Amino acid sequence: MSFSLAHALTGLFWLGALLLLGGLARRASLWQQGRSASVSWLGLLAMPKRYFVDIHHVVAREPAVARAHVAAAGGGVAILLLSALNYGLMLYQGWLDVLLVLMAAVMLLGARMMQARRLQAPPRLSQGRWQVLPARLRLFALGSLLAAGLLFAGPQLGMAGQLIAVVALLMLALGGAELALGIGLGWPMKHAVAGLLHLAFHPRAERFAGKSSDLKPLNLAAGELGVAKVEDFAWNRLLSFDACVQCGKCEAACPAYAAGQPLNPKKLIQDMVAAQSRGSDPAYAGNPHPGREAAVVVKPGEDIVGSVLAAETLWSCTTCRACVENCPMLIEHVDTVVNLRRHLTLSRGEVPGKGSEALANLRNTDTVGGYPLAVRYHWAIDLDLPVLQPGEQTEWLLLAGEGAFDMRYQRALRALVKVLKAAGVKVAVLGEAERDCGDVARRLGDEAGFQRLAKANIATLAQYRFAHIVTPDPHVFHCLANEYPALGGQFDVWHHSKLLEHLLARRAIPLKADATPLPPLTFHDPCYLGRYNDGFNAPRNVLKGIGIKVVDMQRSGRDARCCGWGGGAAFTDIPGQRRIPDMRMDDIRETGTGRVAVACPNCTAMLEGVVGERADVIELAELVAERLA
Amino acid sequence: MKIAVLVSPAVHPVSGRPCAGEADLAALALAQRLPGELQVWYAGAADDAALADYLARGADNIHSLSLSPDSDVLAALGSALQGVDMVLCGARSGGGDGSGLLPYQLAEQLGAALLPDVLDLSKSDRQWQAVQALPKGVRRTLKAGLPLVASVNPRAATAPGWSYARLQQGKIKRKAATGAALAPVVLEPARRARALVAASKVSGHARMQGAIAGGDAKQAGVVVKQGDSVEKAQVVLDYLRQHQLVDF
Repeated sequence: MSFSLAHALTGLFWLGALLLLGGLARRASLWQQGRSASVSWLGLLAMPKRYFVDIHHVVAREPAVARAHVAAAGGGVAILLLSALNYGLMLYQGWLDVLLVLMAAVMLLGARMMQARRLQAPPRLSQGRWQVLPARLRLFALGSLLAAGLLFAGPQLGMAGQLIAVVALLMLALGGAELALGIGLGWPMKHAVAGLLHLAFHPRAERFAGKSSDLKPLNLAAGELGVAKVEDFAWNRLLSFDACVQCGKCEAACPAYAAGQPLNPKKLIQDMVAAQSRGSDPAYAGNPHPGREAAVVVKPGEDIVGSVLAAETLWSCTTCRACVENCPMLIEHVDTVVNLRRHLTLSRGEVPGKGSEALANLRNTDTVGGYPLAVRYHWAIDLDLPVLQPGEQTEWLLLAGEGAFDMRYQRALRALVKVLKAAGVKVAVLGEAERDCGDVARRLGDEAGFQRLAKANIATLAQYRFAHIVTPDPHVFHCLANEYPALGGQFDVWHHSKLLEHLLARRAIPLKADATPLPPLTFHDPCYLGRYNDGFNAPRNVLKGIGIKVVDMQRSGRDARCCGWGGGAAFTDIPGQRRIPDMRMDDIRETGTGRVAVACPNCTAMLEGVVGERADVIELAELVAERLA
Repeated sequence: MKIAVLVSPAVHPVSGRPCAGEADLAALALAQRLPGELQVWYAGAADDAALADYLARGADNIHSLSLSPDSDVLAALGSALQGVDMVLCGARSGGGDGSGLLPYQLAEQLGAALLPDVLDLSKSDRQWQAVQALPKGVRRTLKAGLPLVASVNPRAATAPGWSYARLQQGKIKRKAATGAALAPVVLEPARRARALVAASKVSGHARMQGAIAGGDAKQAGVVVKQGDSVEKAQVVLDYLRQHQLVDF
């Protein structure tokens, strides 16, 4: 009997392997619709490290799920490897059967834990086939356990053994189908194969070596104008969509989703899956884009926006990267949003709300608000702030950014200059030579406008000699530090929080000695400083340095909620149930401090724009200036 | 039907850079809604970059008549637009020394009807019907047969959004042209508006007195102080009937 069961297992194993390979070939043909991408095959070698280290950093933030996945996936992979050895290669070793039984037990336990979680599934999880997956995996684990157990026990079980063997084979076939057919039919276990390949051929391979949050430039001269159809995505982008496990962590983190704007990042990725599979995958069974139907109609050959996706969905995104930060499969949602926006802006010229006006202002005046460049530093007229002339030099070059036109933020800028002067920092500005950095243009999809501004700024900055750039605007900071290098601009850029931290640490800023203890406050992390650039500690150290205790909000640091401005969302202004800054103000109220420190002109404007009773919004530099001796 | 749209660069009010003029853009957008073969024309000395906005906002190509800056565009445009059925242009250019007279002069030169400050154009029977914008939101319907020249109100239509792809695909086709010499521009101080003069300098009270109690009984009115309200009303009614101001 053991002889026939073993052979049946061999047959089943190879049948499964063939089905899996066939399915992979079918899926690969879908990925091949995309454009070619420069990927390194060495990624395959790097895959284990990326799987066990990089993914683990994200998954481990939810320890219970991480443990369940380690047990289920680890057990499952071990079962497959041992089966390949013992039955695939027909070794039929008893000790391998013992190992198989052990691994099957581990997998059973993991699948059981996952099933328990599914009983009270949080609403962010997709239902449908995902809901029954743990049961199928249990079936597979149990079948493996029984079969391996039988084979180890030997032929003396007789009739009962034969019966159990048949049941075990059935379980293996049913459960194994989930694994073998998943990749081909777009069932949940697709994520295992596509996920591993995605790790190997990740579109941002550099993120495994360090932070990578810059948008990649389009080659405009070669006619690259963003993504209109599935074929315009690079093939490894299409692959990345198939890695999605529909866990909905992006959905739970997305500020636009919470505000009831028509964007659910999980659904966005699934829309892309539907578009590339031409609707052949099982229907999506999760939350829709708020206020929209879940079902999509895929019309092959048509543009993605307008068929599977509404433009409002794209324009709702604040590019805050909360989704990317939380994605356990390391999918890059923001890249996808911006790639699709680029087509809308560059090709169709369709930017909603005040977005097109902002872009027109940038074209015509080099400022977002349509201001004359000559008035950018009017707030500093009595501060004796040197305006750098070409050829002159300074140690620190201050770029005020668009906040310089905002009367509220001018107070913060004045405070910053006052602090820097008190600390003896040699600082100068560009005056009317300073143009917008191009952040808004780029996030709104106007890559041509961004590149024009960036190149013009790089050429301007080349005329001056300075050691470092300091800016209080995280968007300027991110653009110059991370996105200008691709266009040939290498600068040593500091956000003012880092410079203030540095000066405080060196005791360069003269502080009041007899300072009365200040009331605690909370700190709102700007996305482009925090999640984009890991600048979580500098502003907190500044507050600590001037003797203010920070009471963090529940969502702070890596999980901070966006103020609602980023990505040009304040200009496109897609309506929702609530406003994102109102929700952020609720977060601030929860801390009970009544004051919030900010470190970004746009966060300042958004939070101060909250109507009704609200916390005081104070800029980091203003707080330091208050403590000057 | 051949339609020609005339465009010219405007001066951006903040930066002074050339950009598309509002009214010319509206003319372009209005023309795109009409059936017919569309041509976009420019005459003058502006460079390609100054016309880029029109390409990015919907003009497939622009025929540019290169003229020296000091020449009058009228003659060059007039000869280029021979045989065109309909000419649309902005009611006023967005900058420079534009006087707003071009559509009038062009209509005269082409022997075409002129529809000024048009908000909408539609075909009715064999004629073209235009909705004209008048001050304070008043609208008036005008009709004309072809050929016609229409100057377009900036609020007539919205051009498509600015598109980099259209800018790249659009072509500016340059042709050398000769223009007549521009009449020298004479700048003179604005004339002060003449104050309205009243026909009579007598005070309002005096005029009322004159109306009701003048020496001449025919001109003067009657002050009725006696009688009840019915009798007083009867006097008023008699007066109105006598002067045929009521007919009952």
